[in-house]
Amino acid sequence: MSRQAERNVRRQAPAPKVAAEPRRARVPWRARLAAWRDQHLYSFFSSLGRLAARPWANALTVLVLGFALALPLMFYLLFDNARDLAGGLREAREVTVFLQPAIDGKGAVALAAELRARADVADVLIRTPEEGLAEFRQLSGFGEALDALHANPLPTVLVVTPGAQSDLDAPPLLADLKADRRVDLVQYDATWRRKLSDILHFGERIVAVIAALLALATLLVIGNTVRMDIQARTAEISVMQLIGASDGFVRRPFLYAGFWYGLFGGICALAIVIAMELALVAPAQRVIESYGGRFALHGVGVLVALAVIGASALLGWLGAFVATARHLAAGQPQA
Amino acid sequence: MIRFDQVAKRYASGQDALADLSFEIGAGEMVFVTGHSGAGKSTLLKLIGLVERPTRGQIVVNHADLARVRRGGIAQARRGIGMVFQDHRLLMDRTVFDNVALPLLIAGTAREEIGKRVRAALDKVGLLAKEKAAPVTLSSGEQQRVGIARAIVAKPPVIIADEPTGNLDPQLSAEIMGLFAEFGQVGTTVLIASHDLMLVRRLGKRVLVLDHGRLIDDFRPESSRTGASRVESSRPESGRPGQDA
Repeated sequence: MSRQAERNVRRQAPAPKVAAEPRRARVPWRARLAAWRDQHLYSFFSSLGRLAARPWANALTVLVLGFALALPLMFYLLFDNARDLAGGLREAREVTVFLQPAIDGKGAVALAAELRARADVADVLIRTPEEGLAEFRQLSGFGEALDALHANPLPTVLVVTPGAQSDLDAPPLLADLKADRRVDLVQYDATWRRKLSDILHFGERIVAVIAALLALATLLVIGNTVRMDIQARTAEISVMQLIGASDGFVRRPFLYAGFWYGLFGGICALAIVIAMELALVAPAQRVIESYGGRFALHGVGVLVALAVIGASALLGWLGAFVATARHLAAGQPQA
Repeated sequence: MIRFDQVAKRYASGQDALADLSFEIGAGEMVFVTGHSGAGKSTLLKLIGLVERPTRGQIVVNHADLARVRRGGIAQARRGIGMVFQDHRLLMDRTVFDNVALPLLIAGTAREEIGKRVRAALDKVGLLAKEKAAPVTLSSGEQQRVGIARAIVAKPPVIIADEPTGNLDPQLSAEIMGLFAEFGQVGTTVLIASHDLMLVRRLGKRVLVLDHGRLIDDFRPESSRTGASRVESSRPESGRPGQDA
């Protein structure tokens, strides 16, 4: 037997001149693409299978992620609605001029004509006290109280639209109007608009900061979950590395797991927010309508929903990447 | 296929595992490494498998100088080596088929090809019928055979095995060693660390004997029946390992 083997050895000794590198280069790209696809399919399903193997623990993780992601999404919605509500005001450029009560219709028409003649005025609208009263009655719901008044307490109001060029914080028109003795009060909406703009900007920043913090929390939760996954599979990982698995191959199922955590967390967050929306929109709408608002609250749009799911999946992937990077570096000999 | 040139390995703890080790194993050769535990057998295999790096000296495996293999190339280099472990290290949550298919999946073999080659490998170790079984349901001898199927499925030019029969009874051990001998006959280089000298001698293959990290003997028993003189002469050194098993 040993002689036989020896002869075999001698006969076959020069045969296998196989070097590792050229063998790889000979594989056509089509086959490599197919292999790449197969490896991804494998990781895709094996990672899902692992999640399904521990449904309760993973459902808890997903719920934690869902709430963490729902919070900034809720803030965003609130803020987005507030911005739209303020949107109409934001555009306002009119100067509202309240005339002295002593100025009658004729005087108002004269002042309007004067103003129209100015180069920096685009238009002037006269609102008589009667029109003002009718509008007030309609909007405020104080109709009966107004009936109790003997006289109309409202002054004539001129709504002045400044010309396109006078888009300043305090155009000269404003000073002139204030100086006019026929004018009681000048209300320039641009000042208010800027304040509102500042408030909204501040709100925007708060939402961004909270979103960033909770995104970081998401990253950590997923990173930690994946790290525990890795610890439970240390033996398996070392076997894979020993039989020639690249870092990418070892890492892929964990990246997919992180991706799944993020994806399901994002879907969970959306579900939470949509449930809140369903519970809150109808009463909120009633409140707005009772104040005569014609504003329709809007919920999570398709684009926002997709963005939330996409972002959370990306966060999951990233968290898993960070967690695996540390482990993989520790698992190999120093080169 | 495997060449060690004045290789030394000192662990960070200061322990000298190997010292001035030089030998060469040709393609298709089947060689045993013996020695008592702590003699450096495992370290030797770890150096070939790039699990450890030598402190000194040159190691060439599959025509590649291992010192030139960087971190990113380790995985690729290991695909040219089939590894068999004493505790077989199967993935217990997967079927026999999936375990054996793993190296092919890692190497990016086409799916149709994987099925064929896994079955061929399982057929070779006589476990074709257990393809869908979970490894826990197999006997330890069968588990080790699955481990061997996994090592050979990608047809690596070199197979290394660390005490592959360490947990098996003599009859199973003989069976497993017989399997390895078959691979040697088809041109695969096989290097097996074992302290089971009785078994090693019976197979009549070349034997490297390590003691305290040094190569103290390199011989080939003529035949199990005639009892060659070299074997007798090397007995004092290599007879020890049997006792501390």
